Amino acid sequence: MSETAVTTPVSVSKGRSLWSDAVKRLLAGRAAVISAIVILIYVLVTLFIYAAEFGSSRFGWGIPLTNYNEKVGSEYEPPSWKHPFGTDYKGRSVLRKTFYGARTSITVAFLASLISIAIGVPVGAMAGYFRGFVDEIVVWLYTTLSSIPYILLILAFALVLKDRSISLPWPGAPTFRLAGIASVYLAMGLTSWVGLCRLIRGETIKHRDREYILAARSYGCGRARIIFKHLLPNVFHLVIINFSLQFVGFIQAEVILSFLGLGEKDKPSWGAMIDDARLTLTRGFWWEMAAATLAIFVISLALNVFGDRLRDALDPKLRTE
Amino acid sequence: MTVYIVRRLLYTIPIVFGVLLITFLLFNVVGGDVAGLIAGKNASPELQAEIRHEYGLDKPLIWGWDSQFVDHFKNAITFNFGKSWHDREPIIDKIKRGAGPSLSLTVPMFIGEILIAISLALIVAYLRGTWIDTVTVLLCVGGLSLPFLSFILAGQYFLAYKLGWFPVFFWPNLSTPQYVALPVLIGIVAGLGSGVRFYRTVMLDEMRNDYVRTAFAKGLAARKVLFKHVLKNAMIPIITQTVLTIPFLFLGSLLLERFFGIPGLGYLMVEAIGSRDFQVINAMTYIGALLFVVFNLITDICYALVDPRISLE
Amino acid sequence: MTAATNDIILSVRGLATHFRTHGGTVRAVQGVSFDIRRGRTFALVGESGCGKSVTALSIMRLIPTPPGTIAAGRIELHGRDLLKVNDAQMRSVRGNEIAMIFQEPMTSLNPVFTIGDQIVEAIMLHQKKSRRHAWVEAEKLLARVGIPDPGQRVREYPHQMSGGMRQRVMIAMAISCKPSLLIADEPTTALDVTTQAQILDLLDDLQQVEGMSILLITHDLGVVAERADDVAVMYASKIAETGATEALLAQPLHPYTQGLLRSLPRMGVAADRLAVIPGSVPDPREFPSGCKFHPRCPIGCDDPRCSSLEPELRQVSEGRQVSCWYSPGFETPEESQDFDRRYGRDKRKSPSA
Repeated sequence: MSETAVTTPVSVSKGRSLWSDAVKRLLAGRAAVISAIVILIYVLVTLFIYAAEFGSSRFGWGIPLTNYNEKVGSEYEPPSWKHPFGTDYKGRSVLRKTFYGARTSITVAFLASLISIAIGVPVGAMAGYFRGFVDEIVVWLYTTLSSIPYILLILAFALVLKDRSISLPWPGAPTFRLAGIASVYLAMGLTSWVGLCRLIRGETIKHRDREYILAARSYGCGRARIIFKHLLPNVFHLVIINFSLQFVGFIQAEVILSFLGLGEKDKPSWGAMIDDARLTLTRGFWWEMAAATLAIFVISLALNVFGDRLRDALDPKLRTE
Repeated sequence: MTVYIVRRLLYTIPIVFGVLLITFLLFNVVGGDVAGLIAGKNASPELQAEIRHEYGLDKPLIWGWDSQFVDHFKNAITFNFGKSWHDREPIIDKIKRGAGPSLSLTVPMFIGEILIAISLALIVAYLRGTWIDTVTVLLCVGGLSLPFLSFILAGQYFLAYKLGWFPVFFWPNLSTPQYVALPVLIGIVAGLGSGVRFYRTVMLDEMRNDYVRTAFAKGLAARKVLFKHVLKNAMIPIITQTVLTIPFLFLGSLLLERFFGIPGLGYLMVEAIGSRDFQVINAMTYIGALLFVVFNLITDICYALVDPRISLE
Repeated sequence: MTAATNDIILSVRGLATHFRTHGGTVRAVQGVSFDIRRGRTFALVGESGCGKSVTALSIMRLIPTPPGTIAAGRIELHGRDLLKVNDAQMRSVRGNEIAMIFQEPMTSLNPVFTIGDQIVEAIMLHQKKSRRHAWVEAEKLLARVGIPDPGQRVREYPHQMSGGMRQRVMIAMAISCKPSLLIADEPTTALDVTTQAQILDLLDDLQQVEGMSILLITHDLGVVAERADDVAVMYASKIAETGATEALLAQPLHPYTQGLLRSLPRMGVAADRLAVIPGSVPDPREFPSGCKFHPRCPIGCDDPRCSSLEPELRQVSEGRQVSCWYSPGFETPEESQDFDRRYGRDKRKSPSA
């Protein structure tokens, strides 16, 4: 028997961070990739429409696809090769309206998410880190908000904010007039930060007593630095998961709010399209509702599937090796 | 147990206070001077002043015993919600009238949904791993991605209008089962997607536990393990989830009532949105929150009764 | 050993259990064979992931069958092949003729039922007793496993008991129908040392009195030395060697076992470093070719046959089986000549001591 240590080639696996691992696992599934592509398409359509609008107001471009107001045919034409989704009561292309509806929905959901994250994350982190009085206030605040049934809360906010002019409290400050759609995403953002806040607060509490935070404090890290540089990156995956799950909720909520008349009045939105269809369905004009339903269904499905896969990929408890 | 209940009830006071604070901020502060809204577009200044006085909007906002702020709280405690802007009817009467139809819609929907969804979830959990399970999950995700509005519209159009199996709208001389049948059906079907998915997840999570393996090792059949061991444990999160949705039953299903013209609380709210009636929404928000808080407490009590590990000390 | 005096109650032959994962098929157990005799404790020892738990679950047919399948083999209980019986028959075996206790007593009991309920359930499932009779029996069982104040305890819930007590409850439940074989999958790993000793003593006691055989799954060689009559060493889904405990520990035949024993610190032996087996346990989705241990084996690491041809489990002497080309008595003369022809005599290693 040899005395020297046996040198067998031992393979060393490269260190895999949570993110690279997650991305790899996520992209391995077909469902995740397809839904990601679908989501990307919707986002691109939105950006395209913004670019086109900007272009037409600045440079006078006339891109037909984004010109939803143009009368392209007679009223209530059923779907055909010329008009794939038919026309509405004003003879406008339903296809164009559907595309425009995507812009409305994606924009609203995105802005609402932004507001929700901008409020929820810092508040949750502060409450979890500082504890004490700050924590008590924050917990009281979000318990109160979550005691009000969600739909009612959004309705209340949207109703009050609609067409309102906000003037900031100090003299000489400008007055903002809230456009129709602003009341919707403001209402959603200002009410939905609660879930995320709770999550972040919980995680922060769990992490703040861990050794790595203690270590950071021991070499003199200030509180802000600790929160932003050390704590938040460790809870960030929760923000992503929450974002993807809430996004669908926002899209569906916007549809309902627009349907009830609280959203954008003059620009097309899927909810408004369904509202129009409600009255005309009995006369046999089904295509506008079908188009809106299809558009909502596809993006909701894609977001749900992607969100599920994302959660599976990012949830450390499910990591096996 | 009583100590616990009292302590929880005491905790609800700052919450209800908070809710009233938020509604006050929203409706009285941000809402601002609503006399113009109430009176209508072309009202004269005198009319506006009258209305302002009638609704107490000329009182000081926060300070003083006779301020709007104090009134807000006084009214809430006495359930005096004032009059609707729309037709000057006392809101409390509207609420009493609307509660009945709303409940006759939402209670059957709630019960039906739970029974059907849990049963389906149990079956699917039993058949875990087979193609039936996969198809069910796909259907669920598809179902919850479809907008609720479309479900209602499609249901109303095909089943009532086209096929004539159900009445299309509410009529006063229709009996209750007649006019709620279709909305209840639509509500249940639309909710099955998320319901079955939720209950299935709960079941599968429970089935991952070690005690399930022990049960099988004892020689129990799969059916027994599922319906006896897993279900009892699964009831804990299920009860938590379902009791909390009971407050929503009172609020009616806004959209269903709107589409079918059922004169319940949901319809009341939709009307209020249309006529920008803050008063009604204010009142409903308060009631909703109150119910929610009460049922939260009931949920905790149920939870403690079902789970032997929890003691209410 | 003649079958008459030490009759075999469980005989496993060529057991293979596979799992289908998206990384490929995992062959968790391959070609596993051993016999368990009446009234004796048989230990199945190996590192984490070597397949010992899967073997135990396969005997009970508790492998979850969407990802897993028992691909091959025979498991004979009192002469009846358990892999061929239908579900209902298997259910009457579980908890009745073969019982199993698990590693995690904290989570193995149902938290929402009293322990009395759970023991009674086991009793009433397999025996024709009335409910009242079963409760009385349950109390007696609790007393038998050494739980004080059984009348009170039987009405309690699992969370009201410590880990050690819960494991006793598990044992009570397991022996309630007087099984011929008790499978104990790492029963003491999750317990503290004192409790470990108590539980193992209890198992010993039950074995003496009831004449029950025990299949003890463990990674702890110390437990094997103290409590097992016979032992099989598993490595990477296969059995390396088997034999009576004393004989095997005194004279291990397989390089893996030798490595394991060498790495144990010994009293009275001066050393400045503990010996280790270099390398690490292979990933079950990528087993090495030939003998699975060869990359880490002091003899086989550069042997051309060890790296290409997997040795099967063979009996080399009375009661001893081993799977290693270089174990004394393993190679047949034909195989030896074959080696010389193929690779040349000079490549041959000398057998391990």
